[in-house]
Amino acid sequence: MSIQQPQKFDVDELAPHASQVMERLKSGPWPSHVAELEKTKYPLQAYAAGLAAGKTAWAAGSAKIRYVYTGFIARRTRDGKYAELHFRVWQPSGQIYTTDFLRKMLDFADNYGLGLIDIAGQQGTMIVSVDPAKADEAVDVLRSIGTDIGATGDTIRELATCVGPALCEFALYDTLEARDKFLTHPKIYEWMPNQLFPFKFKAKFSGCPFDCTRAIHRADFGFIGVWEGAPEVDQELLRKKVEVGEVDPEKLAADCPSGAITWDKEKKELKIDGTRCRKSMHCIRTAFPAVKPGKNKKIAVVVGGGSKGRFGPKLGWLIGYLSPDQVKDAIDLVFKVIGPWENEAQPKYRLGDYILHVGLDKFIEKAGIKLEGMPTSTAKNPDEVPYAVLPKEVRERFLQFAEQLKGRV
Amino acid sequence: MSSPKAARLQKVFPVDLEKFLPERVLKNYGKWVERRFHGSGIIEHISETGDRIFTVKVGMPPNARVSADTLDRLADVADELGIGAMRVTMAGNLEILTDSLDKAFKIKEAVEKMGFPVGGWGGSLWGINSCTAFLTCTTAVVDSPSITKALGDALAPYFKEQSLPAKLRIFVSGCPAMCAGGTAIDIAIVGQWGAPPRIREDVIGMCLPPPRALAKVQEGQIFLVQVCPTGALTLRREGDKVRLVLVGEKCINCARCKENCDAFDYEPENVGVAILVGGKMSNTGGGARLARVLVPWLPATPPRYEEVVAVVKHIIEVWRQHANPGERMADFIDRIGWTKFLELVGLKEMHEYYQKTPEFARTFLTFRGRGEIYRRLRDVL
Repeated sequence: MSIQQPQKFDVDELAPHASQVMERLKSGPWPSHVAELEKTKYPLQAYAAGLAAGKTAWAAGSAKIRYVYTGFIARRTRDGKYAELHFRVWQPSGQIYTTDFLRKMLDFADNYGLGLIDIAGQQGTMIVSVDPAKADEAVDVLRSIGTDIGATGDTIRELATCVGPALCEFALYDTLEARDKFLTHPKIYEWMPNQLFPFKFKAKFSGCPFDCTRAIHRADFGFIGVWEGAPEVDQELLRKKVEVGEVDPEKLAADCPSGAITWDKEKKELKIDGTRCRKSMHCIRTAFPAVKPGKNKKIAVVVGGGSKGRFGPKLGWLIGYLSPDQVKDAIDLVFKVIGPWENEAQPKYRLGDYILHVGLDKFIEKAGIKLEGMPTSTAKNPDEVPYAVLPKEVRERFLQFAEQLKGRV
Repeated sequence: MSSPKAARLQKVFPVDLEKFLPERVLKNYGKWVERRFHGSGIIEHISETGDRIFTVKVGMPPNARVSADTLDRLADVADELGIGAMRVTMAGNLEILTDSLDKAFKIKEAVEKMGFPVGGWGGSLWGINSCTAFLTCTTAVVDSPSITKALGDALAPYFKEQSLPAKLRIFVSGCPAMCAGGTAIDIAIVGQWGAPPRIREDVIGMCLPPPRALAKVQEGQIFLVQVCPTGALTLRREGDKVRLVLVGEKCINCARCKENCDAFDYEPENVGVAILVGGKMSNTGGGARLARVLVPWLPATPPRYEEVVAVVKHIIEVWRQHANPGERMADFIDRIGWTKFLELVGLKEMHEYYQKTPEFARTFLTFRGRGEIYRRLRDVL
C-alpha cells in the first residue's frame, strides 16, 4: 500500500461543494439542525466542508483557562481558520430547568458563545463555542448563576439521574437526592478538577428497573432501584379495575415475561410468584396502583457498563444490593471501586475493560466491596468435562453430602 | 478556602433541589400516585395532593442543537402556557411542564407551529439520538446528525402517532466509539471505516515518543500500542530506525487509535455504516441485552442516505407486521429467533457468508467472552 499524503483541507474551498446538501438538510418534516445553526454565529462552512470531503473538518485544538482543567472541549478546523471552545455545564438534578435558570443560560450563550446550545441530557448542557479570550470570565459568570463548567476527559463525568420522585410514581429511592449527595461528597473535590483516571468515569441513578438513565449500559457505575420478591397487589383495587375494564387480568398473567403471574378466576385474586419474578415491570405499569413494587426496596449496584473502551460495548454486572437509606454508602462504594481501577488499569481502559482483564471476583476482592447479594460463584466453564483440579475443601464437602445420605436412605 | 487557586479549582454544582426545582414539583415531590396518557406525547402525572402536572414531549433537531433564540421562544411557551419549567430527557427530547390538559394541547399546537413534532410515547418512535460527528467531533467518519435528519424525515409519522407495536429508539453514531449511546438499543447505526486506517506519516510523530527514545522503549509501553486491542499497531525496526506500523490483517476497525491520536486517515469511499438491531437497556420484557449486527456495511451518502433509510424502514416494517402488540424489537427477535428474523428481513444467505470469525479477532473475542461467565442483573433479580 503506497502512502499518500492527505490532500489539503481548505474549509472555504470545500464548503461550496456541499451547498446543495446543506439546502436539502434544511427541508423536511423533522426539525433541522442546519436551520437552527443558521440562526446563530456558528461557522457553517466547517460543517459543509466536512460533508463535502466526507471527513470531519475538526481537529483537536487547545485552550487555557485559569485553574480549570476539565469541562471544555477545544477544536480547530484542519486548516486552522476556525476555532471552537465548547463548555459543558452541569445541569440541575433530574435535568429539570425552570425557565428562569434556562434564560440565564441563554443569556450566557448569547454573551459568551455563539448563541447555540446543545441540550442532550447525557453530558450536561453544552454551550457551543465560548470566546476563548473571555473564557476566564465566563467560568466566573457560570459560577455566579449557581452552576459550573462540567466535565470532559478522564475524570468523573456528568451524573445522570432519572426524573425520580420529582415526577414519577415508580421511583424506589430518591435519585435526585442521591446525585446531590454524590456531588457534595468531600472526595469529589479531590478528583473532579483533574483528569487522573485511566479513562472517563460515569455514574447513573435509575429509580426503578425501567432504567430510564440506562445505567446498565451507559455508566461505569449504575444504581438501579429494585425490590425483593413479588410486587405488592391490592386485590380490592384490582377487582375494581377489572370490573371497569381497565385491566384484563388473564392477559396480564399471560403477558408476564417471567411467567410469574396467575389469575385465580374464582377468588378473583392475582397471585405473583416472587421467586420467579424478574422485575420486568409489566404488571406494574399495566395495573398501577393496584399492583405496586414490593415493600422491601433495594438499590442494585451494577458496574462496568459502557460502549467505548478496549473490549467494545458491554452491559454492567451486578455486584450486590444496598438499601434505599444507604445512599451515602453507595457513594463510598464508588470511591472504593475507583481505587484499584485508577492504580492498575492500563491507559484508556474503562472500568468494564479492567474488570474483564482481572476478573469480576478479583476486582471485588481488590476493591474490598462487601454487599448483600454479591455474586458468589462464577463458573469458569460449563461442567461438561468430568475432570478438574479441585481443592481439598471442595472434595470434602461432597464427601460430607454423601455421608449425610448414608444413614437415611 | 485558603488559597485563591484552591478556591478556583473547586467546582460549583447545581445541587440545591429547593433552588432548582419548580414550586409545583417540589410541593408534590415523591407524592405521585398515577399517570394517564392523553394521545401521543402528553402525559398526566397525578399527585396524592390532587395536583396534576402534564408533560408535553417535543422532538428536537439532530444532536439536540438548538439556537438560544429558539429555546427562548420555547421558554416563552413554557411561561405562558406552562408552569415555567421544562425537562431535558436522556434522549435529547424536551418536555414542557404544565398544569392542565387544556394548556397541554395549546402547548402542543404552539410548538408544532414552530416546526417541532410532539409525540414519542408508547408504541412510537421515542426519538433518535445522534452524536456530534462533523459538527464538533475529530473522530467521526460519517455525519450522524444528517443521517438522523434523513431518518427523522422518513420516520416522523412514527414519532407523532402511536402506530408501532412498542417503543422504538434509534441511536446514530459517527464512528465505533458509539457516543450516541452504545449498541444496547432497538436499532443502532454506527459509522464504519470499511478498511483499515492509514497512518499519516507526517504527523504520527506527535503521538509517539521522540525517535531516539522510541528506539529504546519497549513496545508495550508505547501508548498507541497499548490502546490497540488486537495488536495491529506495532513497532517495526528498519535499520537503525523504529517506525509504528499498522498490520492491516489484524485490524478490526474499532477506531480506538483514531480516538486517541488524530494521525490516522481513511478513504471516504470505504466508509459506511453498520446497522445493529435487537438491543435494549431497560429490564422490561426479556431484560437488557446488546444488539447484533444485521448489516455490517452500507454506503453513507449525504444528504438523503437512501440506502440507510430504506434498510431501517424495512426492518421497522418487518417488526411492525410480525410482532405482537407491546413487543419491543429485542423481545420480538428473541421470540421468533435470530435465524427466522434474518429470513424475514431477507438476509439469511448473506449472513451465512458473512458470519465467520477470523483468527486475528481471537484475543479481542476471548476477553469479551469472559464477560459471559458472570451473571447479569437479570439473572440475579
